[in-house]
Amino acid sequence: MLRRTLIAVGAASVLALSACGGSSDKSDSGSTPAASKLIVIITPSPDNVFFKAEQEAADAQAKKLGYETLVLSHDDDPTKQSQEIDTAISRKAAAIILDNAGADASVAAIQRAKDAKIPTFLIDREINKTGVAVAQIVSNNAQGAGLGGTEFAKLMGNKGEYAELTGKATDTNAGVRSQGYHGVLDQYPDLKMVAQQSANWDQAEALQKTQTILQAHPNIKGIIAGNDTMALGAFAAVQAAKKNIVVVGFDGSPDVVSSILKDGIKATVLQPASKIAEMAVDQADAYVKNGKADQPEKQSIDCVLVNPDNAKSVTNFAVAGS
Amino acid sequence: MTDTHVREASTAAAPEPGAPRGRALARAALLLLRGRTLVVLVILILFFGAVSSEYLTQSNLILMTKHVAINAILAIGVTFVILTGGIDLSVGSIAGLASMVAGGLLFKGLGVPGGTVFFSAAVVIVIGIAVGALVGAVNGIVITRFKVAPFIATLGMLYVARGLAQLHSNGGTYPDLAGTPARGNTGFHFIGVDSVLGIPVAVWIMILVAIAAIVVTTRTPFGRRIFAVGGNERAAILAGIRVNRIKIAVYVISGACAALAGLLLTSELGAAYPDTATTYELNAIAAAVLGGTALSGGRGTIIGTVMGAFVIGFLSDGLVLVGVSTFWQSVVKGAVIVFAVITEQAQQRLQSGLARRTA
Amino acid sequence: MTAIVEAKSVSKSYGGVHALRDVTFTAHRGQVNVVVGENGAGKSTLMKILSGAEQPTSGEILLDGEPVVLASPRDAQARGIGIIHQELSLFPNLSIAENMFAGRELRRGRRFVDAARQKHKAGEVLARLGQHGLDPRKDVGELPIGQQQLVEIGRALLEDVRVLIMDEPTSALSNHEVDVLFEVMADLRRQDVTVIYISHKLDEFRRIGDWVTVLRDGRLVAHESMSRTDTAWIVRQMVGRDPDSLYVRNGSPVGETLLAVRGLTVPGTVPVHDVSLTVRAGEVVGIYGLMGAGRTELVECLMGMRRAAAGQVLVRGRAEDKGTVQSRMAAGLALVPEDRQRDGLVQTMSVRDNILLATVARFTRAGLLSGGAEQRAAEAKVRELAIRSPGLAAGVTALSGGNQQKVVLARALLTEPVVLLLDEPTRGIDVGAKAQIAALMAELAARGFGVLFISSELAEVIAMADRVLVMARGRITAEFTADTVTEEALVSASASESVLEALP
Repeated sequence: MLRRTLIAVGAASVLALSACGGSSDKSDSGSTPAASKLIVIITPSPDNVFFKAEQEAADAQAKKLGYETLVLSHDDDPTKQSQEIDTAISRKAAAIILDNAGADASVAAIQRAKDAKIPTFLIDREINKTGVAVAQIVSNNAQGAGLGGTEFAKLMGNKGEYAELTGKATDTNAGVRSQGYHGVLDQYPDLKMVAQQSANWDQAEALQKTQTILQAHPNIKGIIAGNDTMALGAFAAVQAAKKNIVVVGFDGSPDVVSSILKDGIKATVLQPASKIAEMAVDQADAYVKNGKADQPEKQSIDCVLVNPDNAKSVTNFAVAGS
Repeated sequence: MTDTHVREASTAAAPEPGAPRGRALARAALLLLRGRTLVVLVILILFFGAVSSEYLTQSNLILMTKHVAINAILAIGVTFVILTGGIDLSVGSIAGLASMVAGGLLFKGLGVPGGTVFFSAAVVIVIGIAVGALVGAVNGIVITRFKVAPFIATLGMLYVARGLAQLHSNGGTYPDLAGTPARGNTGFHFIGVDSVLGIPVAVWIMILVAIAAIVVTTRTPFGRRIFAVGGNERAAILAGIRVNRIKIAVYVISGACAALAGLLLTSELGAAYPDTATTYELNAIAAAVLGGTALSGGRGTIIGTVMGAFVIGFLSDGLVLVGVSTFWQSVVKGAVIVFAVITEQAQQRLQSGLARRTA
Repeated sequence: MTAIVEAKSVSKSYGGVHALRDVTFTAHRGQVNVVVGENGAGKSTLMKILSGAEQPTSGEILLDGEPVVLASPRDAQARGIGIIHQELSLFPNLSIAENMFAGRELRRGRRFVDAARQKHKAGEVLARLGQHGLDPRKDVGELPIGQQQLVEIGRALLEDVRVLIMDEPTSALSNHEVDVLFEVMADLRRQDVTVIYISHKLDEFRRIGDWVTVLRDGRLVAHESMSRTDTAWIVRQMVGRDPDSLYVRNGSPVGETLLAVRGLTVPGTVPVHDVSLTVRAGEVVGIYGLMGAGRTELVECLMGMRRAAAGQVLVRGRAEDKGTVQSRMAAGLALVPEDRQRDGLVQTMSVRDNILLATVARFTRAGLLSGGAEQRAAEAKVRELAIRSPGLAAGVTALSGGNQQKVVLARALLTEPVVLLLDEPTRGIDVGAKAQIAALMAELAARGFGVLFISSELAEVIAMADRVLVMARGRITAEFTADTVTEEALVSASASESVLEALP
């Protein structure tokens, strides 16, 4: 009896697990050690669709330009990132495209790459030092947060109680976005922030914290989140509570865009992740060919507000025609 | 310093004058320590109730209990393992893997030769739990057949299961688990979102799991054997207990409970992502320890574990409710856990002290 | 012939148990002072007091005629008293030199170990022990037991030891190793080192001892120059009473053969070679032997806890080829293990749960345990075996040693065995409980059980067994009936290398 049950259970689970196989092939081929033709792409975990889009765009662009690629993820762990940069050095990469794991913690590793004559092109996040990386191409988080804050205030009718979910405190963007929001929101005396909690960029944590915040402050009219996964978690809580609350996120992820189209989440701020990644690869290609940078180190790319008006034209972190 | 031994021996041998009163005090203290999880919980409720008028509202209590449910179910499973003297560090990852398996089946179905099959939500839940049980069985077999220390075996599984969860979607999120009537797979939200008689289904499930676990641990031969294996494995072997079977069974239970918790979380969220329930194993172990389960095995209760989960949940939510920063939340939670273990030690000392005097 | 260490009117009690009562013991300078006694006679307690590990409840210790307080083993060591325990306390993964200096490493500067000087000094000590060729850098784990013992002694000698206490040092040694050890002891004696030597082995200590002191039930009963004693006198002093007054002899009629063992061989560090034996209904069979003779390994194999390499076990004439604990239990064997704490009791459980542990599945209704049935079954056993406990729900650790033993026995009886295996059933329990356990064994035999028990106490095995088998080095070396058995015969057979050729 027990044995038969076990067999049945086993069969079912193996079948279910086998569904993994479908889309997991990614060519990480490192067969030819042709040093000058390898671009190493290091990003946070592709768990988050934003980084996934970034990764894929850089990968595709590099391949288009005739490079081999090695795509790695540091999972926001500076130690792991450091090891991966060492890998890039030992494989004599032509360039590194990096979405780094910490504004200060990443500097030494990037310097090491520079010392080994490997140029690093930073995307999405800056570091707290110049002259180490060849380029730091980031979306203008402050400008984007301003857009998001303005839209949030407008949706709130410039008054009422709201809560803010912030990202991981160690991440620069968490602070920059929060400041950007408050730069706008604090100008309205009738807009009152009644709760501010970190949900560490995590969807489940955002869900539970929002539920609790809604208990403490039943009159909340809006929730502004530091990224889209937290906005999704917050919106799930709002839905479960059957309340009509404005939720605004940041990133422009496909899930949030589709939610906007269904009149769920009200707005998000799209970071042109794909565009930034492609720019970084183009500049790396130029650097490899000319031996010098053709752009200033600090480059800031403006973000775009996504709301029901333009959500239809958004695909994979890019707004058509922008 | 020289004669401490002598003095210790003499107090143990003959009660000093005034001992009856001291003993009564010791008994009272012991009672308080035995019920310490409940005491802490009551203090928490009184404290937050005084600080926030929202804390003791019916809706908040229900909500907090719902938050507790997920950790409580994980912790009940882990308690089975700890009672045998083992440990299961992989439950968070198993929860994540089960959510991804379930999420994948609901969102994109199962690819079979000639098309895609969709299962009903109920079947998906059963499969998800089965995946957890299977992973638990692997843990158990690695530990018993290959003699790997439970800490190492389940630490390995922590990575393996998390990796499988990420592989399942290539790192992505299954964003919409509502299902469609055409596919006949709607209704997954029932376990995580819906309520029955005003109480969330997740809470009902926690109650059922807890009752079942209490019956198994206290009222069945299997439960008795779990305690024996944890209390003295060699004695259990000599008493004819098939120790390896018991061990495999507790890891299966732990895996199944972890999967169930993962499914509840996923159902509530309406989305499955590979990092679901990361580091939840620590909360689960903390709940068990808070509830008086000895990490050395053989000692502990399910009800204690559930209370431990309540303490952790009510504390976390209370801190969020009154607006304490995340950093302080960590500090307070950690301090409470260490405090609990200190009182556990005190209880053991007091208990053996009293036993020696009465013997 | 002066006294170096004396214990004056020393008593020691643990809780309510008196381990030593008013013992006045003298160790003569530069001589080998042998201390003998049965298990529980108080030898180890006396040695713990002399080596500073325990403090006497009353009485005093004199060193060179001066009263001293030995606050700790370290303190005793500083005064020149070293001890070598029966269980070696060496680190097998460290070298000889590292072991000798463990905890008191020679330093170079404040932090660094002076390995070169340690090695040199260790080499000197090894030479003093007659081990000139032994490299102090060798790992202790690679040495045979005899040499490990010498490393322990070397450790004590390093401290400039004047009094060396040795607690049953030969129990695990081969004959050749014993010879080496005795040479070393003779050397030490010439170097004016006083040896206090605890032993069970009558034939051995008579070769080396100058003085013999006999302890019994915590009292000193004899102190005599070895030359004025003989083996029989020492045994009489040790036992001190008519054994038959303490133990009940079974005399019930013998029935069919319940347990038959043929050619059983068990591999391991303490192996069992080609053992054959039978136990019949109504019979109490004793196995006498020293520690390390393979007795425990034999019964553990019978119980399915060890795998046999060869041989056959028949219970009630049926071959039991499946060597698992469950199958042997089902066949009708039950074991009361030697080490209650390690193998018998589940310390975290109550008296009731311990009694019912092996048979708990019987007390269920619809798959759930029935508290009433459990309570009744446990109560019945408590009454039958006269177990004294604060209550069935009390923790089993609250019971005395004898009652704990009865709990383990109760559990074994509940499995409804036909042959009961008892490994040192009276070890570590007081005299009253010993008599009760002995009576129970006789009663069980009278009820038709077969009883096979292991004992290392001469008087006990002689008084209780209908038949005595002697084990040495994994083999059965002799068999006696109750009428033919004598202490001397048992002792000589237990030290024998020769195998009993034909069973009568």
